[in-house]
Formats: sequence, structure tokens, C-alpha cells
Amino acid sequence: MNTGRMATAFPAVHRRRPPVVAAIFSTPDEELERRGLSLRRTAAGLDIEALNSVFFRAGFPRRDPVKIRRALENSPSMVWLADGSSGRPVAFARAAGDGVFNAVVWDVAVDPDFQGLGLGKAVMERLVEDLRSGGVCNIALYAEPKVVGFYRPLGFAADPDGIKGMVYARKQPPPLPPGVMEGRKRK
Amino acid sequence: MFQVSLSQESVQAQSTYLCLDWKRATKVCPLKANFWDSIRSGSNRTSLNTPEDEEPLPQEFVLTERTQPDGTVEEIVFSSGGDVDVYDLQALCDKVGWPRRPPSKVATALKNSYMVATLHAINRSSGSEGNDRKQLIGMARATSDHAFNATIWDVLVDPSYQGRGLGKALIEQMIRALLQRDIGNITLFADDKVVDFYRNLGFEPDPQGIKGMFWYPRY
Repeated sequence: MNTGRMATAFPAVHRRRPPVVAAIFSTPDEELERRGLSLRRTAAGLDIEALNSVFFRAGFPRRDPVKIRRALENSPSMVWLADGSSGRPVAFARAAGDGVFNAVVWDVAVDPDFQGLGLGKAVMERLVEDLRSGGVCNIALYAEPKVVGFYRPLGFAADPDGIKGMVYARKQPPPLPPGVMEGRKRK
Repeated sequence: MFQVSLSQESVQAQSTYLCLDWKRATKVCPLKANFWDSIRSGSNRTSLNTPEDEEPLPQEFVLTERTQPDGTVEEIVFSSGGDVDVYDLQALCDKVGWPRRPPSKVATALKNSYMVATLHAINRSSGSEGNDRKQLIGMARATSDHAFNATIWDVLVDPSYQGRGLGKALIEQMIRALLQRDIGNITLFADDKVVDFYRNLGFEPDPQGIKGMFWYPRY
């Protein structure tokens, strides 16, 4: 697995093996249908304001809908559940990556009125399966402390072999090197 | 050797940074694109978007320059334009001891990356024209949703060029380029041996207790 690190050799000892059987979801597609929920895998029919509202009520900050739309356009993998009657999103997850080696899952959210029903698990299991069947094996995410336990039974492990998730935290960007003027291409 | 002519640039940069929330762009700054266009083009004009301003220019510049004992000059050039030959990259991966990956997959991964940043060493001979040697000596790439988040992968520097601050420069300039495109959340996953390297560059592990997790990692 290639991570954002300076070159070191990486070991190949398997600690846990991924399942090799065909995907069986905790809540099958038919059951979701029976509950009046519609499984979607593209942004077609996805109301951005409704999604923003789900994010907000699930505890995310409100974000610029133009940027949300751009993020959706550049997240080739997504799974969401639409409420049958209104078509509004009630559970959502997306992933961005290079389509071959790495994917990172973002914006996993369930409408608080629909939490506790296994819908977060439903979208995540399908997202992972979609990525795997596309050949992507390195699937990563960032989990707040209170949801690490949600991801573990889905097959996710925190800090495998000491690998740490890190985020750029400075307020100012790094400086340009001395003598470099912004915008000048080398001749 | 270098002119430290930063005053104009830093003044322009200051006024631009005031316009943007680096951590999370929760407001839309309507003149944002124009500010960056003017900075990028090196001019002070802030008015119109011309067609060539619509696509951000790849940044390419000389990081260091040193005269070798044999009289040739070696330049180390950074570029965020990402034109990488997969076989040059394979040779570099061989040098650092990474296992090979199918070249077609590597090509696809590069094509699907939001940004590919490179370091090249260019050795300019002191004699006739056209004897320059250009060698890929470092690379890093980032995937992104083009809006909020980017994740940096596959950072490598040729072992014979390590220990000179080039890895630091590579990452710093990549961060600059990402922030310039308003990607507010820049992330990566670091082997425990290099956590301190990235900490010194401004990255924080487990911010607010947030944990990086992998699906059935092959460890």
C-alpha cells in the first residue's frame, strides 16, 4: 500500500483477510425497497439543498452548494438512499480517488430522523463493494472518535501498523521559495 | 545568487489571503478567481476573465541551482503540471525500493489524480546547446473531490537527492498549489517513521481525535 510517505519498504503480512464471497449486505436491496427507500449511485435526482440540510442536521457545517455540486461531480463513487415519496436523500456516502489504487470516503451522513435503522451501514457496505469490484483495494477514511466503532464492523481498522491520518493545520500557506515570483513560468 | 525580491509578491499575496478561508471556504468570494488570475499572471489587473485565465496555470519554477565540480549547472525544478512518464516513475520507484505496479494502472492513476507534482534535476552543460540532461528525482500526487478535500499519496525522492530539503520543498509547494485552488482540507496517511517529517510541514496527526482508518489493510 502506498501512503503519503517518504519511501520505505512495506511489509506484506496479512493480519486480516477481506471476505472472498459475493457481497451479502446487512440489509438486502429488497428490504430497502420494501421500506420505501430507493438506492441511488449517481447524483441524478439529488437535491443539493436537501443534501446540505441532511449534512447540517447530522452535524456537518453548512457548505457552499456550488462546491457541494462540484464535489459530487468529482466523486465517481457514491451511494445514497432516497426517501420513496419525496425523493429526498436520507443516507449518503461518497468516495474520491484515482479509480485504480486509492479511494477516500467523505461525507457519510444519515438524516437524524432515519438514524438507528442500519441505513449508514447500508450505504457504506455498498460503497465499499462498488470500489472493490472496480478494483480499488486501498479504501481509507477519517473517522471522528464517536464513529470509529461504526466503521470497525464494516472492516475498517484505525492506524494499521502505526499509519496515521494527518491533516494540514496551518492558517497560512507555506511561502514560495526565495527568488520565485508567482505566475512566472520557467523559460 | 537569488534575488530576494519578495516585497511586491508578498503584498499581493497578503491581500489575497485575506479573501480566502484556508481551512474551509464557507463563503464564496466573488472576485477570488480574478485575484488568483492576477497573481498568477504577475500583473496587477483584477478585472476580466480572459479565456486563458479560466484554467489555472501549472506552476513550474527552479527551486535550487548549484554549479557542479565539472562546471555543469544543476537546477532542481518543481512543477505541479504533472507530466510524468510512467517508465521514468518506475525507475524512480525501483531506486527507492517500491514494488512495481502495472504501468497501465499507474498511468490511469496519474491521469485520475487531481494534481501530480514533480521534481526534476536538469544538468546544463557549460558547452554547446542541447546537452541538457533532465531526470525525474521526486514526485507526489494528490487525489481530490475538486472542492473540499485532497489526499496526498506516493511521495518519493530519489535517494541520491535526499537530505537536501527537496522532499520538504515538494510537499510545501504542492500544499501552496492546492490551497491556491481553494482546496481547504489537505490530508495524507503517514507511516509512523515519517509522521514527524509531516508534522514539521504543518500536518497534525489525529486532529481532534479523528482517526485515519483503512479497509482490511494488508498488514
